[in-house]
Amino acid sequence: MSADSPAGTHPDPTLTSLDIGHPVYAALLDPDTAFWALVDKTRVADTLAGGPLRDAYRQHADACRRELHALRFELKPSGVYLNPTERCNLNCRYCYLPESQRRSGGHMSVDQLLASLSRLRDYFRSIMPEGGRPRAIFHGAEPLMNRDAVFAAIDAFAGDFIFGLQTNGTLLDDGAVSFLTARNVSIGLSLDGPSAGITDATRHTWSSRSVHNRVLAAMNRLRGYGSWSVITTCTTENLPYLTAMVELFHAREVPTCMLNAVRCTLAGARDVKPDDGAMSRAFFAALDRTHELYRDGGRKLVVANFANILIAILAPTARRLMCDISPCGAGRAFFALAADGNLYPCSEFIGLPRFKGGHLLADGGIEAALTSDAFRSVIGRNVDAFSPCDQCVIRHFCGSPCPAEAHEMNGGMTSTGVFCAFYREQVNYALRLIADGKADDYLWDGWDDGTETLIDLAH
Amino acid sequence: MTQTVLTKPQTQRASSPSPAVAPAIAVRKTCNPDGVGLSHYVLMDKKVAR
Repeated sequence: MSADSPAGTHPDPTLTSLDIGHPVYAALLDPDTAFWALVDKTRVADTLAGGPLRDAYRQHADACRRELHALRFELKPSGVYLNPTERCNLNCRYCYLPESQRRSGGHMSVDQLLASLSRLRDYFRSIMPEGGRPRAIFHGAEPLMNRDAVFAAIDAFAGDFIFGLQTNGTLLDDGAVSFLTARNVSIGLSLDGPSAGITDATRHTWSSRSVHNRVLAAMNRLRGYGSWSVITTCTTENLPYLTAMVELFHAREVPTCMLNAVRCTLAGARDVKPDDGAMSRAFFAALDRTHELYRDGGRKLVVANFANILIAILAPTARRLMCDISPCGAGRAFFALAADGNLYPCSEFIGLPRFKGGHLLADGGIEAALTSDAFRSVIGRNVDAFSPCDQCVIRHFCGSPCPAEAHEMNGGMTSTGVFCAFYREQVNYALRLIADGKADDYLWDGWDDGTETLIDLAH
Repeated sequence: MTQTVLTKPQTQRASSPSPAVAPAIAVRKTCNPDGVGLSHYVLMDKKVAR
């Protein structure tokens, strides 16, 4: 599918079979539209030859194509990552931000942050439907290093943005929690291990002191709040402990977690990169454990990055995260504002000066950045246009993330993402859950509120 | 809008003279994609409540 209009004459849609490792079912997919069906493995050849399922899909193929095109090429930005400081009080081994910035970089002043949000508010008002509020997420380095500016901004623009805060949790004291929860700010923390020894292997202060217990204390303060989550960055250091990790999260009533494979944009992260097979085994063991805990106790711990793959299959436009789609959300669904006032497609690029799109407060501002060569190089990364992704049947459930990693680690924007095999296994696992009628167990209650059913075939 | 859309799965074949064929499953839901999501680094809950 090209970025041009999806209208016009299309050949008869083609379905391709995929062995998903299920005892009964195989998948049939049309990668161009992200349509899928599960059929009895003994009937794959018959179904591909024709029949009611193919006839029914033919009726819906154009609608699926139009929907996917709109999702991939017609969105306007609705969110911004705000980096109010370059500094961080931690020195995590895999951070994507340069050490010099995190150690001794600058803060945005209160006035700078307020002026930036004013400009951002005006921009979003000009492109969003009336009544729509953009999302603004304070992001790292560590935003609470510049707490006064962050809190002033949240109060000054309460009616203009839906705010979020991603923090390492070490500065999230009682006062901060009271302030943020009273204003319904979404809060994300980070914790890499079920015990201090595991967390300390990747996340610690500049003097290598442990912060594990401080994050647990922050989690205790957030218990019962409706909108918080915890990220575990999966590395060689904690893979054997992912099952224990989800047990800890479930016991502490974390509503949602993410088990994100480490992003390898900067070289330091590659020292702790797991291989795809080890990542898959540990990840699925942890997912299986969340299901056992749900089955035994009736309370879900949603693993959001996997839930997003499931939703990408069941309802592509209902995705909650925009990494697993091509082009990804960087520079088109959202963008990032660095502490020096410059705009980048995503925070992942802030350490890579060539991806700077221009200054927010300069002439042209956001519009100029969105059409800059820097942004266009990211927005233009299209899995339909480079090998081997262009031949992959799951390319629109995966998106070959992430462009920053592909560019920095694998050689360029037309290189595959870093965890290709892991993504294939996630899609197979998701399709097996659907075959077994278990998909809803891994999703938020009400995940499909606001959706309509386009296809529901049973033959 | 919440609808039940998944067909009942059949993961075990019936023991009958002619083997049962598992029913096909195909689901696609759709919604307005505006403001659908962010990146892996932050998950914004749709409903915020204490």
